[in-house]
Amino acid sequence: MTQKRNRTAFFYILPCLIVLGLFVYYPLIMNLVYSFQSFGMSDTTREFVGLANFKKLFSDEIILTSLKNNVLYAVISVIIQVGFGLVLAAVLEDRVFQKFSPFFRTTYFIPTLLSMTVVCLLFEFIYNPQMGLLNSFLELIGLDGLTNVWLGKSSIAMYAVIAVSQWQSTGYVTMLFIVAIQKIPRDLYEAAEMDGAGKIRQFFCITVPQVKQMFFVTMVITVVGAFTVFNEPYILTGGGPGTSTMTLALHMYQTGVVKNDMGYASTIALLIFVITAVLSSIQFLTIGGKEEEA
Amino acid sequence: MKLKKYNVLAAAVLAAFALTACGGGSETASNEGAGSGAGGDQIEIDFFHRWPNDPKNAMFKELIARYEEENPNVKINMDCILNDQYKEKIRMIVSTDEVPDIFSSWSGTFAQEMIDSGNVMDLTSVFEEDPEWSDTIAEVSKGPFTFDGKLMAIPWSQDGKAFFYNKRIFEENNLEVPTTWEEFIDVLDKLKAAGYETPIAEGLKDQWAILHYLGTMNQRMVDPEVLAADYDPATGEFTDPAYVDVLEKWQQLTSYMGEVAVAIDHETARNTLFATEEAPIMYLQFAEISLMTDTVNFDYGYFNFPAFEEGKGDPNALTGAPEGFMISNKAEHPEECIKFLKWLVSPEGGAVQLTVEGGDLTCVNGALTEENALPAQIEALETIDAASQMAPWFDNACDASIYTVFGQGASAVATGDMTPEDAMADVQAAAADLRTKQ
Repeated sequence: MTQKRNRTAFFYILPCLIVLGLFVYYPLIMNLVYSFQSFGMSDTTREFVGLANFKKLFSDEIILTSLKNNVLYAVISVIIQVGFGLVLAAVLEDRVFQKFSPFFRTTYFIPTLLSMTVVCLLFEFIYNPQMGLLNSFLELIGLDGLTNVWLGKSSIAMYAVIAVSQWQSTGYVTMLFIVAIQKIPRDLYEAAEMDGAGKIRQFFCITVPQVKQMFFVTMVITVVGAFTVFNEPYILTGGGPGTSTMTLALHMYQTGVVKNDMGYASTIALLIFVITAVLSSIQFLTIGGKEEEA
Repeated sequence: MKLKKYNVLAAAVLAAFALTACGGGSETASNEGAGSGAGGDQIEIDFFHRWPNDPKNAMFKELIARYEEENPNVKINMDCILNDQYKEKIRMIVSTDEVPDIFSSWSGTFAQEMIDSGNVMDLTSVFEEDPEWSDTIAEVSKGPFTFDGKLMAIPWSQDGKAFFYNKRIFEENNLEVPTTWEEFIDVLDKLKAAGYETPIAEGLKDQWAILHYLGTMNQRMVDPEVLAADYDPATGEFTDPAYVDVLEKWQQLTSYMGEVAVAIDHETARNTLFATEEAPIMYLQFAEISLMTDTVNFDYGYFNFPAFEEGKGDPNALTGAPEGFMISNKAEHPEECIKFLKWLVSPEGGAVQLTVEGGDLTCVNGALTEENALPAQIEALETIDAASQMAPWFDNACDASIYTVFGQGASAVATGDMTPEDAMADVQAAAADLRTKQ
């Protein structure tokens, strides 16, 4: 009887298994195989090249540049989206702001609803050195010295690209934290207040520990997002000037689709997968795991 | 028990197949419906090109409608996507059965890649059998589509790149058209002294714009034999010191393009600097003439890229290339495809419209007259005719893994992040990598 029930259960999860297998696990395994091969998009045969692609991976300077940019992306994203996002959520959920909070919540959330391409094109205009909003604004308030060729200087282009993502995604993370904060029982705050804890003490002693689960979720989202970022540098700079704003995903795309070297592109894809898998596992084991015990 | 499990799996797989089969079936059914509606033997031609934007897309639609009206038994299914995506898609499908009957192609390495798939029809006999038609096609545009003595595509348009200059500003400052690099730099210096902050405009954000310069500069500077060997993936080394010279000259040239050049694209540079007469010189394609009719209200002329004193390449060559259409040898009705293309590339068909509406220079000799074309376009055709030879675009002359690295290096040289030597070292590494793959 139980066996039969199991079989029926198996039948129900079959579609899911097939779809997952076909679109996730099969490509993943094929990607591993491809990373040992050399071929272009219009080639009909694939040549086995052993570890050549991996050797190239470790001597490729663009990989280093990309890694550096991705790490920078991750660090800034965690600080601004997760850190600042949480503060923003706490402020908006405070009783003092209750009246205005829906307005601000919506305002911060709107960028998330825009398509990334639209946002990038918008920022292309903001950063435009000839008539862009940012330079015009700086000139208007007398800060002529701060005007810059934002996307054209390798020293600042990456920061300009990263800023776009922060503008777009902080509202989303804030929204997630707001949901988490709303779940915290009000009496915890009331008790703390009675004990004489100030707003800041309440934030660190109640809000932060209570939203730990959400912390984990947002960390995974932002860090994995930072290591797979593609649209922003692709549209805003194309990886330039030179290769200064190259990210792993963009490098993978250029290698595979532009340089027509799908084998090596698969190797880069594998690297991205390993990095994101390891980072999510670490986060899961350190933050996510403990939560279950508690 | 185990068997049953497989049965379930097999059933599910079958169901999936049945679903896709249904999708395919309904599609063919609807196609047949359309065919029988027109009556007789309906022939379908799949036509794939790279111009989804107007005015060319509208032009093609109109041409096809006209052709279908004249040939009621032919139905042309047009599909199109823009340049880079077009490149990706056609690469992906050219070696499969999905290859379209007719598709547009650049010359050079791109055409070679298409031909290597084994699915491109040899069209030599088409040209030989109908000299009356084939003699009207400009000779310069046939060469780049000839591989191993065989003509593999029907040329459609031709293009070249030259420095466009503002005649008024040149006259006001008593400047002559430069013929050598030294004279050119002298002109730029004088323009700068006369108050033009960016004597030469460019949008370096577009890598292809950088590559157009590099292609010409390599051709002018490097020994043609060395260049041919370097552009060949099997023998490319890029160790000749002339390439470093090229990048040094490039660095010198970009210093006249102004600080914003690295952050804007080619079109922006043309519209906000050249068209507004802020920048008197810009390196432009003849295909851009028609784009400037609305924005540019001043007289402009052309001069070819000036010669390098120490250059070993032909200084009278003009960088540019034709584009054309290839026919798949899997096409069901090749004779109909040929008939359509011959019509398209003729004054009766699309040749004049290509220039008048589409803005590209047709490769049909004598199709353009002073009545139907802009004077600037006629002058451009004369410039192409006057060139000793056409030098291909850099991104059609060598493998993508080379020109991408070369272009990125040149971009970093322009911003001062890399020395020409370092940039060439990267190119050499890419070339070495490519050699091992051959």
